[in-house]
Amino acid sequence: MEASSFSYFHELMNLALETSDTRKTTEKFLTLLRQQFVFDNVAVYLKDEQTNTLEIVYARAVGRAKSAEADANWGETFASQVLAKGKLLVKAPDINATSDDRLSQAYLLGIPLRDDGLIGGALVFVRFGGPAYEQDHVVVATLAAELLSIMFERKAWKQAHKELRDLKLQMQLQEDFVSTISHELRTPLGFIKGYSTSLLRKDTSWDEATTQEFLMIIDEEADRLSLLIENVLESARLQSKTLPLRFQPLRLDAVLRDVATRLRARYKDLEINMESHALKPIQGDGVRIAQVFDNLFTNAIKYAPGSPITVSVQQNKEKAVIKFKDQGPGIPTESLPLIFERFYRARSEKATGTGLGLFICKQIIDAHRGKIWAESTLGQGTTFFIELPMNPIN
Amino acid sequence: MAKRILIVDDEPRYLRLLEANLRTEGYEVVTAQDGAQAVDVFSGQPIDLVLMDVMMPKLDGFGATQRIREFSSTPIIILTAKGDEQDRVRGLDLGADDYLVKPFSATELLARVRAVLRRAQPAGDVGGQSRFFTHDNLKIDFARAEVWKGEIPVSLSATEYRLLLQFAHHVGKIMSSEELLTSVWGPEYRTDKEILWVSIARLRQKLEDDAHAPKHIVTRSGLGYLMPPIEE
Repeated sequence: MEASSFSYFHELMNLALETSDTRKTTEKFLTLLRQQFVFDNVAVYLKDEQTNTLEIVYARAVGRAKSAEADANWGETFASQVLAKGKLLVKAPDINATSDDRLSQAYLLGIPLRDDGLIGGALVFVRFGGPAYEQDHVVVATLAAELLSIMFERKAWKQAHKELRDLKLQMQLQEDFVSTISHELRTPLGFIKGYSTSLLRKDTSWDEATTQEFLMIIDEEADRLSLLIENVLESARLQSKTLPLRFQPLRLDAVLRDVATRLRARYKDLEINMESHALKPIQGDGVRIAQVFDNLFTNAIKYAPGSPITVSVQQNKEKAVIKFKDQGPGIPTESLPLIFERFYRARSEKATGTGLGLFICKQIIDAHRGKIWAESTLGQGTTFFIELPMNPIN
Repeated sequence: MAKRILIVDDEPRYLRLLEANLRTEGYEVVTAQDGAQAVDVFSGQPIDLVLMDVMMPKLDGFGATQRIREFSSTPIIILTAKGDEQDRVRGLDLGADDYLVKPFSATELLARVRAVLRRAQPAGDVGGQSRFFTHDNLKIDFARAEVWKGEIPVSLSATEYRLLLQFAHHVGKIMSSEELLTSVWGPEYRTDKEILWVSIARLRQKLEDDAHAPKHIVTRSGLGYLMPPIEE
C-alpha cells in the first residue's frame, strides 16, 4: 500500500473520530469517500431502540438522482433486509425491465453498522444504471461502514456517559442530603437523650443548678429539633413547588416595619434604622416575604450581636432592591457563595441554626423571580441584597 | 488514684454531658475540641482512656486514633454519630477498643467506660508509651508525625513515614521484604520488591549521613532489613 493510501485512510479515520457534529462530519466523510468510491445516493439508517424501527439519520443525493428527490430509490426496504440478515447485501436491478430510465435501474449496496447494543443500523449506497459493485468497491464501502459505526457508537457512548454522570451527581446530592439531615436530626436528639438519661440516673444526684442547666439544654434542643423538622418540611415543599404562593399587592416598607416591630418586642436593645421613601406596592406573597425579612434580621442579631441594622429599599419601574446592612464581624469571602446552600452553617460559639434559613430565603425569593446575594468585608460587616421584580407574574 | 479520661468532641454540649457524668463516678476529665488538639493533650500527660468523637474539624477521630495508636495502647472508645457500620468497623480497625453510637444514654456510657477500663492493663504498665523515638541523630514525633535528622526536619511521603515506623517499632528485628511490603503496602504487593528497594533508597537519601554506609536502615543480605539497636 502506498503512503498516499495511508494518508487517505488517516483522513477518513480522523473524521470518524470526530464527535462534535455528526451531521457535518458524515457529510465530509462521504464526500471524501466519493473520491475513491462512486455512488449517486447514500443513506444512513439507525435503529431506534424504543420502536425497533429504522430511522433515517443522513441522506444525500450527489449524482444522477439529484432531481428525482423523493421519487428516487433510497433503499428503505433494502436497509431493513440488510439489518434483518445482519450481513452485506447487494441488489442489481431486474434485467428484464425494459425501461431506459436509468433512475429505475438502481444498483444497491447495503452494509450493516456494527451492533454493540448501543447502536445498530445500515449504510446504503445507490448507483443508478450501474456500474455493478465490484470486489474492491465492496472493500472500500465496508471500511466506510466500519468507520461510520465507530463514529455513531462513540457519540452514543458519550451520550450514555453524560447521562450516567448526571444521574450519579443527582444521586450523590440526594445521598449527601440524607446523610446531612440524619446528622442534623441526631445531634439535638443526642443531647436530649444524653441529658435526660443523666437526670434519670438513680446512682447519683445532681445539684439544683446542674439540674436546671440540663433541663434548659433539653428544652432548647427540643426547640431546635422542632424548628429543624419544620424547616426541612418547608424547604421540601418549596422545592417541590407544592407550597403555593399567594401573590397580592404588597408595600415592602409596611412589611419591613411589621417585622421590625415584632423583633423589637423580643430583643429590647435592637437598633434598626429604616431608609425608605413612599413606595408603590409590588406583587408578592406577604407572609413569605415577611419570613425572609425576619430571617435576615434574626441572622444579623445572631451573627452580628450588638450591631445596628440598617435597612433600605429602593425601587424603579421594574424592580425593588432591599438592603440589610450590619456592622458585624463579616463573612469570609470563601464562605460567601456557600451561605445559601442547604445545611451550610457558620461556625459560632452557639451553633443554634438549622442551616436551612438562608436556603429557604433563597427559595422564596427565587419563587418571586427575584435575586438574593450578600457582600461582606471582614471586620466591617455584611450586606444582604434582595432584588424583587415589581410584578413577578409577568 | 483517680483514672484520667480524655474526652474529644467539637460540640461543647457533648463535652459538658460527658464531663458531668464522668465526674460523678470520680474520674478526672480533660477535654479537647478536635483531633489535633486531642493528640497534643494526650501526649502531654498520662491518660487512662480516650472518648473520641468521629466527625471533627482539623484532624477527625479516625486520624487522631491512628496517630495515638502509633505510640500508645491506651484504650480508646469512639463516639460515632452515624450509627454507621462502616464507621464502627473503620474505628475498630484503626485500633479503637470499643464504640458508642450517638444518641446514647448516660448509664450506657458509664457502663462502657467501666468495662473498657476493667479490660485495660493498669495505667503505667502500658509498654512503649512514648511520644518521641530517637535512634542516633534520627528523631520521630509520633504525635505530630514529624521526623528530624538532628535539628533539621525531614519531609517524608505518607508511605515513607509508614515504612520508617515499621523499623522504629521493631528495633533490632530483621524484617523480610515480604513482611515490610505486606504491612506497608498491603498483601497484594507482597512480591513487589522493587517498590520496597526504591522506597528504602529514598528513605536513606533523606535520613542517612551516607546513604552507602547506612546506620538507621541496614541491609542483611538474603534476610531483609533492620534498624540496628544503638550501642550504648
